[in-house]
Amino acid sequence: MRASLLAALRRPARGFSMPAFLAYLAVIAIVAAVPLFTKKPSLLHLWIMVFLAIGQGAAWNVIGGYTGQYSVGHAAYFGMGAYTTMMLLELHQIAPWYGIGLAVVNAVLLSLVIGSITFRLRGPYFVLASIAMAEIIRLVTLHFKDFTRGAEGILLNGIPPLELTEGLTIRFVGKQPFFYVALGLAVLAVSTNWFVQHTKLGYYFQAIREDQDAAHSLGINLTFHKSVALAISAGFTAAVGSVFALYVRFIDPNIVFSLPDVSVQMVLICIIGGIGTILGPVIGAVVMVLLGETLRNPKWLVQVGVAGSDSTLVAFIEQRLSNAHVLVYGVLVVIVILFAPDGILGLLRTWWGKLRRRGAPAAGDAVKPA
Amino acid sequence: MSAILEIKNVSKFFGGLAANSDVSFDVELNTIMGLIGPNGAGKTTLFNCITGYYPPSKGQVLFKGVVMNGLQPDQVCRLGMARTWQKVRPLAKMTVLDNVMVGALLRTHSLRVAREVAHEQLRIVGLAAKDSMLAGGLPIGERKKLEVARVLATKPELLLLDEVMGGLNAAESEEIIQLILSLKKLGLTQVVIEHDMKAIMRLSDRIVVLNSGEKLAEGAPREVADNPDVITAYLGEAVHA
Repeated sequence: MRASLLAALRRPARGFSMPAFLAYLAVIAIVAAVPLFTKKPSLLHLWIMVFLAIGQGAAWNVIGGYTGQYSVGHAAYFGMGAYTTMMLLELHQIAPWYGIGLAVVNAVLLSLVIGSITFRLRGPYFVLASIAMAEIIRLVTLHFKDFTRGAEGILLNGIPPLELTEGLTIRFVGKQPFFYVALGLAVLAVSTNWFVQHTKLGYYFQAIREDQDAAHSLGINLTFHKSVALAISAGFTAAVGSVFALYVRFIDPNIVFSLPDVSVQMVLICIIGGIGTILGPVIGAVVMVLLGETLRNPKWLVQVGVAGSDSTLVAFIEQRLSNAHVLVYGVLVVIVILFAPDGILGLLRTWWGKLRRRGAPAAGDAVKPA
Repeated sequence: MSAILEIKNVSKFFGGLAANSDVSFDVELNTIMGLIGPNGAGKTTLFNCITGYYPPSKGQVLFKGVVMNGLQPDQVCRLGMARTWQKVRPLAKMTVLDNVMVGALLRTHSLRVAREVAHEQLRIVGLAAKDSMLAGGLPIGERKKLEVARVLATKPELLLLDEVMGGLNAAESEEIIQLILSLKKLGLTQVVIEHDMKAIMRLSDRIVVLNSGEKLAEGAPREVADNPDVITAYLGEAVHA
């Protein structure tokens, strides 16, 4: 099993592998057991943010990583999800489990409209158009105060309990329920990436990424397949946006439609982890969340016991860096592009390859006749 | 004999420039049609008009009696007319096998079936040993073969080959010539753009010569080679003393 895990790390997997699948289930089971061992809200908060980031990264990976359409406007779908769920709940008293469903539908419809406009463009022009679309939606949300409450935002008063069967009721108080909802979402998003990579759809997405004209000449309907990829991506992004909104309990257009904190963050998760791979967004999410949380609120290092309460590092970050987190992201991107163009996962694969090559001739030397 | 491809008075204008003007010819079933002409004669533009990349400005393209005007390249390919690219377009970060599977997936939803078809096509073009290499790492000769294998996997009835021998050495060219001839034996109709005169004379049943976007001559290879207009187009006017 160890060998096949290493093999999976070495090259993009093709086909179903039982050991890898069992390892995946084992990891999920171990992570799901975390709340049994720790009740620390600051730790559970970190896990939830990581799960949501995995969901975001895996969602963006479908359109950006596999299909090669670098949308830097996914805040449109994230915010659409957050606003649909919150407006339905706070302004119309519709429970969020229906709200999230409608949020996904809304985002998919929005993606079809945005796609029909932006997919006419290629390369940098597509990127610019995707940014413009998300900004338009942010400004519209700010402007129509009567409908969205504008810059005032929406504050959540409470989530009604979810009665599954008689006697089994889930109350959304504390971190634990959100831990499992966010984990479920992350698992669903990562699994979707696996299915994308292992079906005809995924082959067509990747062919479009590699060369649109060649793909077109091989019988691939470009607009249709790009739209499908964007719809899958937008749907998951909206679901993550909904859960994020319910978890943090307050949204305004500048939070959920943010260019740096949502759109760019989603791209960075994939670039840093490893674009167009299944594990990449997971690795990238862990890095980005730890970095982001440390920069925004370095006190968590003290709360979980990594740093002492008098740590000079914590004080330095708090005073000097916490308002410059976007700058730090920028530096990080430069470092990754220079030293790990295929992300952290790519770097690990290269190291593993070198390690093996160094091992192989040594083994050959041993049996060389004297 | 019946025509599988009919090109009727096709013209293509880019602004005021006529890249093709009033070109007409038929391609008969199970033959090889050679398409030659000096650089800039409009050969590749004609391919692009036939396969849906550009709509022709005037005229009609009929494939198996169906009008192709207005169809997208993917629809043209689905109907059974496939083309290769003069400048090869490998799906660089995918393996050789995956490249051909993308072609094969046009006719099936099953990855298993597509994989079998792809292996078969790679055997035909002689790339079976390289199936797990990344396509971007192949040398030019093998990229050309991959291009052919990938397009064959879409199960075309008519194959348009745009300079598949360009940039190849003599031995590699000979392999491609043998491949084209063996595909003809399997019943595949082909239109071949090529600069190598010897190769095109050997391969073609008929040849169309384009010059400055117009059809200059059409006929059997020998007729075309002896045509004074063709000689003039390639070598310039004879000087009369």
